[in-house]
Amino acid sequence: MWLGIWLAVLGLALGIVLGLNLPITIPQAYAKYMSVAALAALDSVFGGIRAAMEDHYDNRIFITGFFSNALLAAGLAFIGERLGIDLYLAAVVAFGVRLFQNLAIIRRHLLKK
Amino acid sequence: MNRSMYLSIGIVTMILGVMLAVQFRTNRYIEQSVPADRAQELQVELSKLEKDNRKLDREIEDLMYKLEQAQKGQLQAQAAIEDELKKARIHAGLVTVSGPGIEVVMDNPPSQSRRNHVFIIRDEDLLRMVNELRGAGAEAISINGQRMISTSEIRQAGSFININLERTEPPFHILAIGSPEKLKSALEISGGLIDYFKDLGIVVKIQSHSSVTVPAYNRSLQFNYAKAVRKG
Repeated sequence: MWLGIWLAVLGLALGIVLGLNLPITIPQAYAKYMSVAALAALDSVFGGIRAAMEDHYDNRIFITGFFSNALLAAGLAFIGERLGIDLYLAAVVAFGVRLFQNLAIIRRHLLKK
Repeated sequence: MNRSMYLSIGIVTMILGVMLAVQFRTNRYIEQSVPADRAQELQVELSKLEKDNRKLDREIEDLMYKLEQAQKGQLQAQAAIEDELKKARIHAGLVTVSGPGIEVVMDNPPSQSRRNHVFIIRDEDLLRMVNELRGAGAEAISINGQRMISTSEIRQAGSFININLERTEPPFHILAIGSPEKLKSALEISGGLIDYFKDLGIVVKIQSHSSVTVPAYNRSLQFNYAKAVRKG
């Protein structure tokens, strides 16, 4: 399990370095969707860490959750934009709350040990 | 199973890292550049200005065309005025002119002493000559280099004849531009001026020339009293 966490941290660091050095910028119009998608992905990763702490980690659920959450969040923001409702706020609130919950649970697990 | 799990964790977290980093950079980029709605506003303004610009361009073109027309008109008017002026100067005798014509040389009857002429050419003879030439359609006349203009006088002043206030003496060289045949025949008609002069003993010679150059009036023309009357 600890190997998995270290691997996750390593992958994150590698990804950040890669992202900072790749000459990619997203058009301003899509930056909002990307931010929501990033938030969803972050939530998924913390969810995965929490599942690993609780020993019921499932790789398939983690992978599908990661991508479906990110895509759903971005799609929700996109549809909200088209409908004139700030639906991305819903995604932000939902994933933000889950993020903090997951963090809290992870903290407890770490403190129990 | 285990290996694929670690692999997927690594890949997923790496994707997350890329997303976060790209988002971070994009946000920084957005902060540096103008906001989207501001950009839209500017675009609207730009398109409006472009439209205005096109309109003004058309106006420039139109005005340039008008200006050109006006200048063309002005040039034409100027050319017409210059043409008119040239004609007027020729009519007034202020320009040296040349053309077909005749040369008449009149001299006093030969005598032993130049001072004691039995008969000398008088102003009246020259006046009659000029009158006859004008009657025959002479367009420009000069006597001893003095151009006959509208105000020219031919006046006896003692033993001299003043023409254009200039003393002249015989022999008189009279140049006239016009139809040479007409001028010559007008003078040589039987019972005409030449016959009359010959009777008086005046030596007269007439020569036709294909080109005679009549000098311009060489004094300044100044009208102190006569003023043009405006019509209307």
